[in-house]
Amino acid sequence: MAEVSFKREIESLKLKDGETFHGEGIIAVTKALLQSGVTYVGGYQGAPVGHLLDVLVEAREEMERLGVHVEPCTNEAAAAAMLGASINYPIRGAVTWKSIVGTNVAADALSNLASPGVKGGALIIVGEDYGEGASVIQERTHAFALKSSLWLMDPRPDLPTIVNMVEKSFELSEVSNTPVMMELRIRACHLFGSFAAKTNKPGERSTQARFDAPSPFEYIRLAHPPVTFIQETDKFRRRLPAAQDFIMQKGLNETMGPPVGDIGVIVQGGLFNVLNSRLEAAGLSNIYGEPSIPLLVLNVTHPLAPKQIENFCAGKKSVLIVEEGQPDFLEQAIGQILRKADLNTRIFGKDVLPMGGEYTQRVMGEGLAAYLRANGLTSSSLEEWLASIARNMEEVRSAFDAPLPMRPPGLCTGCPERPVFAAMKILRKDIGPTHVAADIGCHALATFAPFDQGNSILGYGMSLASAAAVANTQTRKPISIMGDGGFWHNGLLTGVAGSVFNRNDGVLVIMNNGYSSATGAQDLPSSAPTDDGRGRGVDIEKTLRGMGVKAIERVRTYDVARVTRKLKAAITDKSKGLKVIIADGECQLARQRRIRPENAKAVAAGKRIVRTRFWVDPEVCTGDHSCIRLSGCPSLTIKPNEDPLRTDPVAHVNNDCVGCGVCGEVSHAAQLCPSFAQIDIVQNPNWLDRIRRKLSAKAIRILGGEARG
Amino acid sequence: MSAQVRVLIAALGGEGGGVLATWIADAAIADGYIAQRTSVPGVAQRTGSTTYYIEFAKTDGRKPVLALSPAPGQVDLFIASELLEATRQVQTGLVTAQRTFVIAPTHRVYTIHEKIAMADGRADVAKMLAVITRFSRARNVGDFAALAQRTGCQLNAILLGLAARQLPISSDAFRRAIRADGRAVEANLRGFEEGFKCADAPVVQTHPATDLQAAQNGVSTIPDSLAAEVNRLPEASRVFAREGVARVLDFQDARYAGLYLDRLHRFAALDGSSGDFMKELARHLAVRMTSEDVIRVAQLKLRASRLARVYTEARSKPGDLVEITEFLKPGPAEILSILPAGLARKLLQFVDRRGWSSVSFPMKVRTTSLWGFLRLRALTSLRFLRPVSLRGAEERAWVERWLHLVERVLMVDPGAAIEVVQTAQLVRGYGETWERGHLNWRCIADDLIEPMLQLSPTPSHFADAVLQARIAANSDPDCSLLQAVLQSVHKSAVA
Repeated sequence: MAEVSFKREIESLKLKDGETFHGEGIIAVTKALLQSGVTYVGGYQGAPVGHLLDVLVEAREEMERLGVHVEPCTNEAAAAAMLGASINYPIRGAVTWKSIVGTNVAADALSNLASPGVKGGALIIVGEDYGEGASVIQERTHAFALKSSLWLMDPRPDLPTIVNMVEKSFELSEVSNTPVMMELRIRACHLFGSFAAKTNKPGERSTQARFDAPSPFEYIRLAHPPVTFIQETDKFRRRLPAAQDFIMQKGLNETMGPPVGDIGVIVQGGLFNVLNSRLEAAGLSNIYGEPSIPLLVLNVTHPLAPKQIENFCAGKKSVLIVEEGQPDFLEQAIGQILRKADLNTRIFGKDVLPMGGEYTQRVMGEGLAAYLRANGLTSSSLEEWLASIARNMEEVRSAFDAPLPMRPPGLCTGCPERPVFAAMKILRKDIGPTHVAADIGCHALATFAPFDQGNSILGYGMSLASAAAVANTQTRKPISIMGDGGFWHNGLLTGVAGSVFNRNDGVLVIMNNGYSSATGAQDLPSSAPTDDGRGRGVDIEKTLRGMGVKAIERVRTYDVARVTRKLKAAITDKSKGLKVIIADGECQLARQRRIRPENAKAVAAGKRIVRTRFWVDPEVCTGDHSCIRLSGCPSLTIKPNEDPLRTDPVAHVNNDCVGCGVCGEVSHAAQLCPSFAQIDIVQNPNWLDRIRRKLSAKAIRILGGEARG
Repeated sequence: MSAQVRVLIAALGGEGGGVLATWIADAAIADGYIAQRTSVPGVAQRTGSTTYYIEFAKTDGRKPVLALSPAPGQVDLFIASELLEATRQVQTGLVTAQRTFVIAPTHRVYTIHEKIAMADGRADVAKMLAVITRFSRARNVGDFAALAQRTGCQLNAILLGLAARQLPISSDAFRRAIRADGRAVEANLRGFEEGFKCADAPVVQTHPATDLQAAQNGVSTIPDSLAAEVNRLPEASRVFAREGVARVLDFQDARYAGLYLDRLHRFAALDGSSGDFMKELARHLAVRMTSEDVIRVAQLKLRASRLARVYTEARSKPGDLVEITEFLKPGPAEILSILPAGLARKLLQFVDRRGWSSVSFPMKVRTTSLWGFLRLRALTSLRFLRPVSLRGAEERAWVERWLHLVERVLMVDPGAAIEVVQTAQLVRGYGETWERGHLNWRCIADDLIEPMLQLSPTPSHFADAVLQARIAANSDPDCSLLQAVLQSVHKSAVA
């Protein structure tokens, strides 16, 4: 079950003609899929598009009613391959994932999908994880669209436009027999707005209305020679012109402002709002998006329609191309179009705007100002704004004598993965440093302080594979960290099978927390089966044994001393072969969400419930903070020292503590200090508790001690 | 002034910044505005810094184009959920003195780097407050977290009440937004009203309490005869000396307290001794003379007033039972060193020969049970052994060496002497921390202070060199910076 409940969102997915949808961008896209008569939806979770799948998984009833097949795939390659259904059958399908990483994983299937092309509309919604808030390598999905001949939508961040573009994408896909990708930036996915809803449309064929017979054998539907040669030609001879005609006819790209002018701007749809905001600052547009210079807003960034570009540029002295990220694909393409059309419109783009990085308001403002200046149209209001920023930043610089402490994300309070990293840090002190192959997932947060561990990250589930050559060229065995998410996504095959096959040495730690936690606690094949979940309880240990891994240890992560011992044994063991440590501990976020309401109910009903939390004795703590250097738990913090004789802040456990006990275990395992205490609050104590307490309290008081009860 | 109202929210992931943004946008919509909000959560949700952005505008019925991200200098209202996050947005240049009204709480949620510092790594609150004041058009800064706690609601409800006063939206629209959301409605409404009221109050400025105030707050009572002795000390040091006497008394006995005072008086009479010097000496000497041996730990864990503290922090309700379990894990050195010095040394040699030095005894002692209480009480009853114990002898030797060093430095450079007093801060803790502290201190004493004392005249930067060495020793647990600092000081000063 996912991290948040989607009750309201599910209701908004059922809206009908004449009703208004209010909600988040990515849910609007989901609604648009249902309005487009989609037959199947799949994908792999990940910000910023994860909610698309989460909400559909929860909207089981409505999906059954519409006959939509929903499949949370085990990775993006599986999702892309699922679109293969639209190669042979006229059914619409959509999949989603986080890009660029997901697109990379999907690349093989995408190529094999794009080559034969599709009968039914195929749409890939990618979260373009670029700029502020991004958590992946900074690359553009655009490159995949170019190389595989996939069409790329980049709609204006405005819900009616996005919804319309989803619907048009299916049509575009069908008229040109080409899969379409739609890239949505982070802020667009989380954008709250509204649009006029339409009634959901069931697909003509669906889980409720099945095909009676399979598609006939047609070699041309296979991505296999010799037809791959024909398919390649078909891409540029037939599909491309068909797409370009459709884009022109349906007006997918928007022209704004006066029909003629000396200058103009060609902008990716997704960047329109930032551009308009800065045009407003320059006095060249207003709040309604009515620019006083011509704009061409590309809601489709691949393919371009050369005629449209030519028409827009003809008669202009120059145009500014606003295109985020590198390489400058659009600028190159437009340059070529203009050259071939023998138009002398000068192109500005990456010369006034930066080659890489997010086009923030300031960056956009600076680029626009430079463009206007170069064309003799300096905007005094825009220049004044930029000058005021520069003045302010100068003052800000003088006001700060030291950099502010950064606040990177960290493992949650009570996270079951923390004790494993604490054990690794304790072990580092004991036996010296070890190469650590890190992976994607919550555990990647251990690359930050206080653990500072990890030599490389090569992708989701890739840690073990990335350590293969390291293992064979070092005297000490490397440790590879992998989550259960990464294990099922990729690690099982690329890592474990490869390691067994090649008889590599190494230690693999699998963080078995029961969910794909970093993406919002989605279920995995190994998740516990529950009534409302999708977990199948596939046993990781049995899976490994089936693959021939013999040295497997299971540890409860919170037992720091045991984890440390097992890790040490695995690293120092002289026998050959892969050693796996399965570190069991349920994701604390998911656990708390599960047990908090249960406990509250039990307490209200008068049942005996023990709430545990930890506590630091401020007088025993000497303010050295060794415990924090081995923990980093958000609830293990510091507070001013109340002791007038000492000034350093003391460690302090705040009330967010969930009582996982790691701080106490760590202080034991590392022999840190005796200032930790466990506090058990017995709610609704029973008669035995009370009598026991009464007697011991009396005895303690007789002996001169302090006691309550 | 543009038609849009622009609101930026800075928060930590999981703090309810998203809910706050929802309330504001929903209230704006309910009041006839067109509003848009967005955010960049993702992995940052896991306790990292994150921001939310809202724009809203009244239009002529047409749909406006609103921005998805804030522009520097064009934020009308900025709301932060924590002081450092408030300051961070000033640093980015988004929040400005020309335009922005700032709502910022004064409480701190410390960052990991502030928390893992080996001494005090906290960012300077006074500086952050000054920066926010300087780079805001107007502001409402106060301890809103405490207000939320008193009110029994989440901080974001208080912040909403404060924000309501700064936005052109009717207060009822906010109340409706809270009700429409449906979660914890009563508590959130209560918080909203408190915040709303609070907006009228003058700006709350907090000044970190000075150490003198703190000392006066927690002043302990001591016997009159000892108090009279304390009163003969310089004025500036008396509060600390009184606290020190109380501490030393609690640790051992009146004779030991007498030793503490004798030592202080000896230094008070020396040339170069100042109020500041005596204050630091009173403080550090008391801490060092009450070093945390296992007996001391047991004493602290059984002291009166501790239960009240635990009950308050545990937020237990009447009728609940609270059990306390101590995590103790003394090693052989810590246990045996409370025995008489000769015996302890022999036993330690034996343990060492057997290779048992790193063996330790993990114990979880429930002090709310009779058995747990008795075990710790038995330990405290051993304090009569202290004067003859190995640990006692070692501590005494250390204190005497330190005082001797302080005395010699005081004669040549009183400023440096205060720094030498403060090096005592390095020697503390338990187990590994304790050993590292001793090692670092010996390095500074042997390789820095002693060589500098040999020079005539002593270098002008003596005090600074000792300070730098102490900071270096506190900068990383691997002591690599300390070695580097000692070497560079050596080269420049001694050579």
